[in-house]
Amino acid sequence: MTSGAMIELKGVTVSYSADAPALKNADLCIERGEFVFIVGPTGAGKSTLLRLLYRGEKVTEGAISVAGYDLNTIANKDVPYFRRKIGIVFQDYGLLPNKTVWENIAFALRVTGAGRSETRRKVQDALEKVGMTHRPDALPGEISGGEQQRVAIARAIVNEPDLMLADEPTGNLDPDTSMGIVQLLKFINERGTTVLVATHDAPIVDSLQKRVVAIVDGSIVRDDERGLYRHQILAGKKGGAN
Amino acid sequence: MNPSSILFLLHEGYLNVRRNGLMTFAALGTVAVMLTVLGGSIWSVYRISEYAQHQPQTFNEVDAFMNTSSERDDTLAVMDRVKKLPDASVVHLVTREQAWQDITHQDPTLTESMPDDPLPDKLEIETRDAKNVQHLADLLRDKNAFPELEAVTDAGAEVRMMLAFARLVKLIGGGASLGLFIATMFIVYNTIRLTVFARRREIRIMQLVGATSWFIRIPLLLEGLFHGVVGAAVASIIVLFGGRHIAQFVEQLHSPLIGDVPTQATPLRVAACLILIGSFVGLTGSYLSIHRYLKHV
Repeated sequence: MTSGAMIELKGVTVSYSADAPALKNADLCIERGEFVFIVGPTGAGKSTLLRLLYRGEKVTEGAISVAGYDLNTIANKDVPYFRRKIGIVFQDYGLLPNKTVWENIAFALRVTGAGRSETRRKVQDALEKVGMTHRPDALPGEISGGEQQRVAIARAIVNEPDLMLADEPTGNLDPDTSMGIVQLLKFINERGTTVLVATHDAPIVDSLQKRVVAIVDGSIVRDDERGLYRHQILAGKKGGAN
Repeated sequence: MNPSSILFLLHEGYLNVRRNGLMTFAALGTVAVMLTVLGGSIWSVYRISEYAQHQPQTFNEVDAFMNTSSERDDTLAVMDRVKKLPDASVVHLVTREQAWQDITHQDPTLTESMPDDPLPDKLEIETRDAKNVQHLADLLRDKNAFPELEAVTDAGAEVRMMLAFARLVKLIGGGASLGLFIATMFIVYNTIRLTVFARRREIRIMQLVGATSWFIRIPLLLEGLFHGVVGAAVASIIVLFGGRHIAQFVEQLHSPLIGDVPTQATPLRVAACLILIGSFVGLTGSYLSIHRYLKHV
């Protein structure tokens, strides 16, 4: 299954055990250039959905396509090339502790076979976009959490991906820093990259008022065009979309 | 893969070794110790085997004793006939007078008590090949062919025993070396697996930024190769150093059984062999260790 949409899920179920699927019969379509929040309480299935989207997980049932790749049929040898079209940002930043800021960002380019001059140019460009040109030689342990997340974002965008997936990118950050990170993601989205952010950080969702997809107990219970976080929907009944 | 990527991978391999100092040290130490034990065993087995193979050459002599009533002319006639036998290479005559002198020289009291020289002439015959000692001795014992000979002695039993010992050394030593090789492989595999396990997060990140399996594998294989080669170099130094001292000690024993046996195991060959084994063990160990983590893409 491939389509013009950036992400398309049809009847997707992911089961680790028969009685409690992590994702149940999910249908979702995200067009190119959209900014989407995936919200829901801890354990709702947000991270499972994101893992599915970068092929860190396989579907048990249903069809899934991302960035033109049919993830049901993609060969293992093609997965690295598929992932180069995606930038991934994690709550724990996922930076290589022994590499400097510059090396961490360059690493994503070098694994694709990029040459030195191209790497130099693109890393500098990514550092400028995330506002980290002042600490290129610092190790991750020498900079703050917010700065580490900026570096992680720089690494995610350095390959100019079609899609950016961020799993709880503000989970370890204070509110002011979180807002800065979200503004950065919005800026990346405005330059044409589809951005998907899994979060349970209500203030950042409410501040941007972008598309909100809510997941509870593995089911998509709400899909708002310009939505808010709305705790009562997540904590209470399913299917009570606006 | 372009030259820039190859240089990058080599650099990554170098960084892996440098940045994981303690793990590198542990892996190198393990490989060096295991290869020293393995190399030492192989070298010992090989050297013992060389000694054992060489020993029968010291038992390649047949002694033929003339009848005591034989005249010197008879002895010389027999000596001529023996020289013509295809298995005989050198024939040396020990006359009864020489033998008497030798005994007198060794133990004068023994000859003083004897009124006359009772000894016969003796022919010492060296065979061309130690394996033919028995055959030559049987020929000489044939009373129809050599009625002038009273007795023939040879070292056939000793030769057979030494050859059997050489085979046993090869068999047991070879088996033990094979077992040690497998044990070395297993320990190196486990050691490298620990280094890979310590970097599983790094490997996962590499996968998520789109690195191909070979791109992840090559620096780790280079690291395994480094462990193998450097460990083997250290082991070679220890084995050769130890070997030289053992050889010196054996020389000091002045044992007639050992003598100066030339060896095929030159220092260069020993080092090359160990480095080859080390490279194989390092590469295979790291390939198997990484394979487990790269199964999940």
